[in-house]
Amino acid sequence: MRGKSLHVLLLALLTFGFIACNKDGQESASKRYFVAFSQCNNAEPYRTAQNQLMQKLFAEKGDVHLVIEDAQQDNSKQIAQIETFIRQKPDLLIVAPNERAPLTEVMGRAMAAGIPVICLERDITQPNYTTFVGADNLAIGKMAGQFIVDTLTQKHGKAEGKVVEIRGLLGVEAEMERYNGAHEVMNRYPGIRVVHEAVADWLQSNARDRMSEILRAQPEIDVVYGHNDPMAVGAYVAARDLGRDKEMVFIGVDGLGGPAGGIKKVMDGVLAATFYYPLCVDKAMEIGDQILRNRNFHPDKQYILQPELITPANASEMYQKLTF
Amino acid sequence: MEGGNLVTVAKDQTCGTLFYLSQKKSMTEYVPESLQENAVGRAILSSKVPFQRGVVYSRLKGIIGLLAILLLALVASPHSARGGLVFLEAGNITDILRQVSEIGIISLGMTFVILTGGIDLSVGTVLALSSSLVTIVLTRVSFGWPQSVGITAAAVTALIGGALVGFMNGAIIARWRIQPFIVTLATMIGIRGLARWLTSNANIDLGFGSDIASVFARALSTKTIVIGSYVLLAVALGAVLSKTVFGRYVRAVGDNEKAAEYAGLPIVKTKILVYTMTGLLAGYAGVLHAAQNHQGNPNTGVAYELEAIAAVVIGGTSLMGGSGSISGTVVGTLIIGILTNILRLNNIDSNLELIVKAIIIIAAVWLQQKSKEST
Repeated sequence: MRGKSLHVLLLALLTFGFIACNKDGQESASKRYFVAFSQCNNAEPYRTAQNQLMQKLFAEKGDVHLVIEDAQQDNSKQIAQIETFIRQKPDLLIVAPNERAPLTEVMGRAMAAGIPVICLERDITQPNYTTFVGADNLAIGKMAGQFIVDTLTQKHGKAEGKVVEIRGLLGVEAEMERYNGAHEVMNRYPGIRVVHEAVADWLQSNARDRMSEILRAQPEIDVVYGHNDPMAVGAYVAARDLGRDKEMVFIGVDGLGGPAGGIKKVMDGVLAATFYYPLCVDKAMEIGDQILRNRNFHPDKQYILQPELITPANASEMYQKLTF
Repeated sequence: MEGGNLVTVAKDQTCGTLFYLSQKKSMTEYVPESLQENAVGRAILSSKVPFQRGVVYSRLKGIIGLLAILLLALVASPHSARGGLVFLEAGNITDILRQVSEIGIISLGMTFVILTGGIDLSVGTVLALSSSLVTIVLTRVSFGWPQSVGITAAAVTALIGGALVGFMNGAIIARWRIQPFIVTLATMIGIRGLARWLTSNANIDLGFGSDIASVFARALSTKTIVIGSYVLLAVALGAVLSKTVFGRYVRAVGDNEKAAEYAGLPIVKTKILVYTMTGLLAGYAGVLHAAQNHQGNPNTGVAYELEAIAAVVIGGTSLMGGSGSISGTVVGTLIIGILTNILRLNNIDSNLELIVKAIIIIAAVWLQQKSKEST
């Protein structure tokens, strides 16, 4: 019995060690503001870039203690993490909701507890936030559609040609809007035909496999539109393997910085263009900082940021700006 | 044999197998009459019950583990602005209970399954199926019923769906004698497909207004309902396992299936019932999941089966079957819940949370083996 209790004690000490090691107690005590960020997942590069930018911008302020929790794409987990944040009473809560409906109620509870809440990038079902900072996927879709039209017009003298679309995870709002926006523009030109639509769940490896199949079936392709950059790159790799990469152009979406991001792929000539989907973090920080420091500040209910076209012409400039 | 083993089996050269059931009650009630006439049956009936120190020890050990985690939580809890411990705030305690309740309810059924020596990998997808079914009925089926009838119908549909999957699992495992791991792995895959197909792989969101779906979500997501149903189910199923004949059959089947068969216990029926019950419980967890998340989601519940198995194992139930208890599983569930909460309150990286969980699981099982060796 004595031995057993000792083991349990050791286990408890070990766990306590984990907590102790992670507690930057002294540091946080000197900081005036506690900002909690509930991130829906850390796995996507877009999310990682958001985290990096947020850490960088708050570090520049110097008096903000930022805590980021990763919900690992799980609604229940994110609800639980926000519940815990509510107990900790942060000066500002930022939430990038995993999905709309599941997170609505708990964000309302944070508001009810008197915590200012910034809803980041994805809207929720009810306006349970102080302000919403988001971006417009439908606008991105339309820009992509227009870029396809322009590219084909340049190539064939008029708006006609064959388009392949590599879609993200079906049923996801971003996917639907990037799809619908592009089709809204392309549908105006009967000469443009989408000859193949494949679903690759946002993943480069899946896109490569699907594109290999498409290349067997389609002897002629003019443009490949990937709903994100990795899928566009995956399609490019498949075409290059068959020596057909010069026959068509590849466009993607997201336009992240850094060596692995889409902007670099534009600089390298892999992608003809990508569309910068705003990280929303810089705007959210600007507003969040005013909420922290100025009691009389009342932000707008929402800020919708516009996407930007990135081509070889502006790629280096955007790369500088978006690499942290 | 020890630990939670209430049934010990010894093999006898001449008359097959003998049962020593460690219950003081007469064995007459659950040894079939036909069997009471022969040698084996008489032997079972007249068997004496030795006092089992192991049972007391294992219960105590679970409590010690829980107390250690509680103590850790008290020491590590941050202080609120008013000076009290954040961990002990009533809101925080009920947060923990609400957060563990879905996995908690599933792990109750999982305890029974594991006690029979089986496993059920399909519970996560059954939860997803049930959350989809309940929201499909709520949002797409309308007979002009009053809201309460409509909500009941939707919930019952989801429960029946869960129970049917469980029944199918049990029937295939017991009748066709295919390993539970394989059968439930297959249903786990198939049911995910069914849930996605039924919903066209899209989430079904519930609103926040006064329509039937909104009322359902509001009514069934309160802490009272969620925590209350977990507590009631735990108490009821704890009683079923320890006080009823069915409970003893469950242990007997898992402890030594051959022996149970020789003794004429209804193995097939017991197994089917156990898996059906687990499906039903996962279905109920799915209904709560839909209400709490305001959403039916065919892709939810990923790895829930593993979290439930972890809770059962930490609670001292042996994966070999036969030995374990509902109270142990509840303790296991609470240990994980409290640990997660205290790590989050201290803003520990959620990836480290997973590492700590892994250590706890290994340590818990190791401690159980140690204690077995020492008794």
